[in-house]
Amino acid sequence: MVKPRLGRGRRPWTLSLTLLATMTASTRAQAAAPTGWPGEEMPLPLAVKTPADLALKTEAERQYLIFNLLAGGKVAFDAGDFSKAMKKWEALLRLPELPAAVEKVVRPLLAEAQHGARDVAVLPLSEGIPPGAGAPIGAAKPSPDPVARTVVSGTASGGGELGPGGTVVWLKRADGPTPRPRPGKRRAISQKNKVFIPRVLAVTAGTTVDFRNDDDFFHNVFSLNDGAKFDTGLYQAGTTYSQTFSKPGPVQLLCNIHASMVAYVYVVDSPYYTQAAGNGAFIIKGVPPGEYELSAWHEASANVVRKRVVVRPEGATGVNVAIPADKRSPPFVPDKYGKPRQPNVGY
Amino acid sequence: MNRFGSVAAFSIVAVLASVARAEVPADAPPVATVDEEAPPPLEEPEGYSPPEGVASTPPLSISGYLDVGFVKAQGDGTSFPAADTRLPADYGVDTFATAVNTRGEVASTDSGGRFVNGFLPRSVDIADRPSFLLNTLNIDLRYQTASSPFMVFSRVQLLPRHFASGNDTRVYVEQAFGRFAPFATRELNISVGKIDSVFGIEYLETQSNIRTGITPSPMARYTTGTSVGAKFFVRQQIAALQSAVSLNVAATNSAPFVESLQPPDASVAGSPNVSARLGYELNLRRFQLKLGGSALTGPRNDQRDRSARQRMLGADARINAFGLSLAGEYVDVKQDPGTEEKQTGLGTFPLASGFLARGYYVFGGYTLSPGWRLLARVTLYGRYGHRHAVFTGFRPVTVASITGGLRLDLGESVILKGEILRNDEIAGAPTVKNDVYTSSLVYSW
Repeated sequence: MVKPRLGRGRRPWTLSLTLLATMTASTRAQAAAPTGWPGEEMPLPLAVKTPADLALKTEAERQYLIFNLLAGGKVAFDAGDFSKAMKKWEALLRLPELPAAVEKVVRPLLAEAQHGARDVAVLPLSEGIPPGAGAPIGAAKPSPDPVARTVVSGTASGGGELGPGGTVVWLKRADGPTPRPRPGKRRAISQKNKVFIPRVLAVTAGTTVDFRNDDDFFHNVFSLNDGAKFDTGLYQAGTTYSQTFSKPGPVQLLCNIHASMVAYVYVVDSPYYTQAAGNGAFIIKGVPPGEYELSAWHEASANVVRKRVVVRPEGATGVNVAIPADKRSPPFVPDKYGKPRQPNVGY
Repeated sequence: MNRFGSVAAFSIVAVLASVARAEVPADAPPVATVDEEAPPPLEEPEGYSPPEGVASTPPLSISGYLDVGFVKAQGDGTSFPAADTRLPADYGVDTFATAVNTRGEVASTDSGGRFVNGFLPRSVDIADRPSFLLNTLNIDLRYQTASSPFMVFSRVQLLPRHFASGNDTRVYVEQAFGRFAPFATRELNISVGKIDSVFGIEYLETQSNIRTGITPSPMARYTTGTSVGAKFFVRQQIAALQSAVSLNVAATNSAPFVESLQPPDASVAGSPNVSARLGYELNLRRFQLKLGGSALTGPRNDQRDRSARQRMLGADARINAFGLSLAGEYVDVKQDPGTEEKQTGLGTFPLASGFLARGYYVFGGYTLSPGWRLLARVTLYGRYGHRHAVFTGFRPVTVASITGGLRLDLGESVILKGEILRNDEIAGAPTVKNDVYTSSLVYSW
């Protein structure tokens, strides 16, 4: 049987994305998703007269189903209905032979929706934060907060070859004081296969990070950044070293034994912060409405990117941040005494 | 539309699907944080790691530096006193001509027709004329993929010079080798090609963007050359002692001498020189101690006769602590007399004397790190060097040098250095005006 072609060089699932783009443009023009769209039934009747027609219709319906679940989930997500978005995207991921690209874009958003659904379950928006709800380990119990809180979401783009993933995004109030952030829960950075995992970690000031050697050989972690200088010394496989980060800003982490290893802890001085997913999408929850300065830091960028954002009672979405990859790599990686290391020497 | 295009389209869709909010470019500085503790964030990011294969370092890297200097040498730029017309020259070799740059080149080696027997330093041929010098344009190429145990490295240097015969830009392959690191979990590698020395420690800073100061020590001419051969390196960490021991062994066509008379990269005797350094390092949080002992043995670089041997012994020490860097090295060189003419890169010479040299240097530097963007570090440094050398049949010559300098690291890529060398002829040679004032501007990329 000859499969119907949907376009020269075009994969069938790209139709879904094209439809989604079209729908989105329409959505934007109307400022809200029209009721019933996307519908459960395919809006275009397709006559079936031949086996080829049947094959085409079968494929079209499958594509429409993918589109429907894909786009319907996004519309629900943007409306804050994380539970509905979660259901649609979970159903989408259960489809057999789902194109990898669709799965790739949906999975991070599904994770966001799952988090959102869980948060909403324990903390309905605009109802304040009950004492102890979601409190980090070791942090003081929060006081009741009568202020309505909402969500700021958007996309970071750029970042050069590394891409926008990991961009640290935070908000500081432009129309008043920004509350002092609490130290976050303890975090961990592993050294595994001569790589720091994660490579970029955002924490609030005062947060303690455990460095763990998960390799079978010795490692070291050190930083030469002012205000954050430390050195774990040589530490063996399976051992842990803890370091508390207090000074806001980036902290470059290096290994004195393996010159290729590099990672960053970014210390933020705001409670409203997050890190972008691999595709650049980010979402900051629990933000009171107001006027903010949004800042974004990325290891490939020479400077922090800043822009003004107005957060309305219903939140702020579609916040775009362009990350220039304009930071020059230093000619040498220093050892823990600040001496340059030479890759050709190898030791 | 390819996959990336589709993903990008989806990202755009995700953005456009929402109504754009009012956004104003921020000119004002951020408002300070107040002492009012916020409720805990609803969600704390768990960090981000890029997908495997998205390495921050591309497999092929091109780096290098440009070293431009300004130099003034006293006298006529050599260490031959103008009034000394004795023939044959009673010291047989220019053992104390003063280096003017990081490569160890001297201002002049013009002996005025006198007999020169042994080491002949490379020259920039400016005599006593104050001069700008384009010391080195260095280009490094390195290729290594994240998953491969192999690394290929080459260092090519362009050396524009002006001689009596006219302008000449020498293209010098300083290093070119492949390295194999068979074990991902061990610090062990094997390098084959034109490799740097393993003797002592000064070979680690022969490049002007690495060396703290400008000029090399009086002993560098014996230990810092590169040669064709193979090298084995292994290091074992000892966590309980915050220490490591290392072994570097090389078999090369020639000893790591640095001079104009060094033979080409081929093996003249047909038998390699074997050299090694055994090292110990203590790496405490604020204190580092490195100790090493080195040895070399093999046929002379300039003799086909393998029975004419040369050997070197050395010891070195380094300390880094609280911004202070201390280093010292002792080197002892012995060459048997040759049994035939001296085979060199400049042709044959009639006499291959036996040669003995011993000397040392001590170096100290203190670095301040203001943390300013345009002035990252300020380093004051000084060095004392002492060398005693004798060619069999000639009078021994003992010289000493005191070097002082200032280095400014202007950001991460630009270094400005200024240095004064005072040279003293202690014994065996007449006193000569041969002090040097030199400077260097190094731009790395």
